[in-house]
Amino acid sequence: MLEPMVIDDREHAEQDGGDDLASALLLRVAQGDQSAFAELYDMLSSRVFGLILRVLVNRSQSEEVLQEVFLEIWQTASRFTSDRGRGRTWILTIAHRRAVDRVRASQASADRDVRIGARDLDVAHDSVAEQAELSIDADRVVDALSALPDAQREALVLAYYGGYSQSEIATITGSPLGTVKTRMRDGLTRLRTHWGVNA
Amino acid sequence: MNEREFAELAAGHSLGSLSVQDEQRYRAALAAHPEWAPIVADDADTAALLAEGVPPVAPPPALRDVLLARVAVTPQEPADAVPVDAPSAGTAPADAASADGDAASALPDEGDQDPAPQPSAAAPPRRPRRLLFALAACLVLVVGLGAGAAVVIPQLLRPAAVVALDRIENAPDAAQKTVSLPSGGHATAHWSASIGTAVLVSDGLEPLGTARTYELWFVRGDTPVSAGVFAAEPGTTTAQLRGSMHAGDAIAVTVEPAGGSPTGKPTTQPIVVIPTS
Repeated sequence: MLEPMVIDDREHAEQDGGDDLASALLLRVAQGDQSAFAELYDMLSSRVFGLILRVLVNRSQSEEVLQEVFLEIWQTASRFTSDRGRGRTWILTIAHRRAVDRVRASQASADRDVRIGARDLDVAHDSVAEQAELSIDADRVVDALSALPDAQREALVLAYYGGYSQSEIATITGSPLGTVKTRMRDGLTRLRTHWGVNA
Repeated sequence: MNEREFAELAAGHSLGSLSVQDEQRYRAALAAHPEWAPIVADDADTAALLAEGVPPVAPPPALRDVLLARVAVTPQEPADAVPVDAPSAGTAPADAASADGDAASALPDEGDQDPAPQPSAAAPPRRPRRLLFALAACLVLVVGLGAGAAVVIPQLLRPAAVVALDRIENAPDAAQKTVSLPSGGHATAHWSASIGTAVLVSDGLEPLGTARTYELWFVRGDTPVSAGVFAAEPGTTTAQLRGSMHAGDAIAVTVEPAGGSPTGKPTTQPIVVIPTS
């Protein structure tokens, strides 16, 4: 059942499983393998939940979305093909999309707004604990984002972590919509160059 | 559409930030130009790396049991299924909640070419409050990235409230005024009538619980105009007033039932009144 090993330039393996492992598990899940599904959940649920919680803020809604995401993975695993993408990317993409969907649809957006500020204040307490958990990837994210021009970084962060739409970001930053679109494209391109994601 | 224009759509798509209309343009363009799929895959990979910047959070253990039990009775799409339905068009009841969100559907695989059901009648609702309290950027990121980032990012990222404050500070008529709160803290209004923006920064506001909320007002002449609600946070609370500030408005805060005053007018005496003229 093992897929040929792919040497990934990103070092996920130490923390919660390599991308090749996620892909291999997904292929087994597509065959209806519930134990592979459980393994995939154990490997990535904290990563996925952290992402959803970041975007959605509301914890009980995040728990619902986490379940939706993993159910969707179970139901649609057959669409994942290892030659067309990385399993980890596939899963994180679904998770981010569903979190944003919920933000868009949700009445809880008001909660979210008032609670985002509160999170900031927790930094001091949490940072020590989180520091121990920071992966090499988190450092790479910080490095790469720090290297971006301010306006590009702002657009990417508001969109990806904040779940804001382009038009909302235009409003927040007082920039024309077209400018926001261009910043996102240029920002992603720069990140890609920085990380060497391009094959 | 040329490739450059598509690259902008693909970037916005990978970040989940396209409007419904742009999402449809994106899908149509990708269907017409399958040769652009690598752009989509690259952007998806890059966006997914942003996810690695968020610290993992363990979900409640009970969720695992619930999920495995549901999986045991949930059918899967067959491997050769023609992906005519969007990923969330599955039968899971929980999916209904996000079913209208498929405009944001995107994967670096065939999911992208799905002719997904059009977002149902409900276009994504507007979220004025989200904008009102858009304390985004570094607030969001700093928490996620921990200590190292906390040092680096604040100088680099400007949260929306700070953007608003900066814009006020840079306005020729920038002004501020501080008053004491009944609870012992302070509230400082920052405003510029020329750009029509006001932000209230307070410390020591009492938490109100879930049944009540603070509501902001522009008092225009004798008429209070609601400028949104906010909750007290431990320490400093920053709230941008919704709507446009007019010269001479007073800025006020009242305590109202959760969700804001049902009448649209203050129902209690204000705890803060800051004249701006």
